[in-house]
Amino acid sequence: MLETAKRVFAIACAAAALPVAYAESDGTEHVGVELISEHASLAPGQSMQLGLLLRHEPHWHTYWINPGDSGLPTTLAWTLPPGLKAQDIAWPLPTRFDAGGLYNFGYDGETLLPITLAVPADAKAGTSAHLAAEAKWLVCREECIPGKASLSLDLPISADPPKPDTRWTKQFARARLALPQATAWKTDLRVDGDRIAIALRGPSLPDAKDLDAFVEGRKIVDNKPPTIRRDGDALIVDFGKSDYFGTPPATLDLVITQPSAATVHGWRVQVPFAATSAAP
Amino acid sequence: MRFRPTVLAAALVFAVPALAKPVIGQPAPDFQVTDASGKTQSLSAYKGKTVVLEWNNPECPFVRKHYGANNMQSQQTEAAGEGVVWLTVNSAAAGKQGHMDGAAATAYIAKNSGKETAYLLDADGKLGHAYDAKTTPHMFVIDKTGVLRYMGGIDSIASTDVADIPKATQYVRQALTELAAGKPVSVSTSEPYGCSVKYGS
Repeated sequence: MLETAKRVFAIACAAAALPVAYAESDGTEHVGVELISEHASLAPGQSMQLGLLLRHEPHWHTYWINPGDSGLPTTLAWTLPPGLKAQDIAWPLPTRFDAGGLYNFGYDGETLLPITLAVPADAKAGTSAHLAAEAKWLVCREECIPGKASLSLDLPISADPPKPDTRWTKQFARARLALPQATAWKTDLRVDGDRIAIALRGPSLPDAKDLDAFVEGRKIVDNKPPTIRRDGDALIVDFGKSDYFGTPPATLDLVITQPSAATVHGWRVQVPFAATSAAP
Repeated sequence: MRFRPTVLAAALVFAVPALAKPVIGQPAPDFQVTDASGKTQSLSAYKGKTVVLEWNNPECPFVRKHYGANNMQSQQTEAAGEGVVWLTVNSAAAGKQGHMDGAAATAYIAKNSGKETAYLLDADGKLGHAYDAKTTPHMFVIDKTGVLRYMGGIDSIASTDVADIPKATQYVRQALTELAAGKPVSVSTSEPYGCSVKYGS
């Protein structure tokens, strides 16, 4: 029922926005956006978890740090009390969206983009912190609508052990599972004409079947699904080189996902670029 | 749509790279496409003139950014003043967002005071695929001898924010200025940004 109400509201907004030449949503069109905290208070000297909760209407999506052939990543610009520092978004594993041979990377359904907030040791217990962020995103189905919202959260600073905010426990637990796991795999990258192939070796390599892979940086590989296969003890991820490839980066961040797995599951590995790129 | 690596999907994926891609410094693919007034437009007809191709979808927020701020029209006007041919292309398939017939395209040009030479209706996506046009906008500059000299974004800042336009390097204007001065194009390729072109399936 909530879904229906939301959809009706969104349609009403879209209709109301029609006469406007350039509709910029304020957070209600096709995706619900909320700033949340894992705990009900902030503890001096600790790292706390915040999150941007995105609730997409069915068929709508927003974007990963690398959006693919079109789109824009979601951004957050923070205004925080002195001494508090928000890290960049810890991007959950992306989903691949196929738009007729063009590919986008992002999120649908309910997704939490986690952010670590560092609270300084000298933060004064008994006071309150006003955490404000300007969120910007692009939400797309086939068509796209840019959105932005001014979000804020007031949290008490307390020396007591922080209590979980039970409203969001499930979301933060899921978000942890949706983050790529760090690996100790050895990597070997080769550029061969218009292909970039990465060989991975090491413990607990997944089977090549039903994997997908993504590169965080843009203009390195193209956005088509890579070919992924086993070759002896190695897992080979073979991408097309980007048409916009310029200076080779020092490293690339490779993310591997199992899109068809029952629970989200994926890995991340940093691949040095330069060493072996001059393959014969 | 969520991608599932099935056998069928893999077959489709391998079909895509078979299409030729335009290459900087090589002759740009010729084409024959009907424009909004029903006239056939071809690249070869403009030999001896510099030609700009602009992929357009009137509903796309990235296109609206550049039309709403008059950035696209002012560059079209400058180009016309320099004798440059500007062809706006719509590759949205029938039934897809932004698809237009000749009358709708003519009304769109009038509403925006567009100064393009012609508005090309490429609903079957042939021209779009020949140039591997990915986004709206996606821009191409072809010199007087028919050689491709620039392909990529209209400018250097990927956003839907009008405020970014004055801060961005306008790559098409830069390429046209350099070509007119007989200089090599300093930025000949950039990653285009925008909405995906709404090709038919």
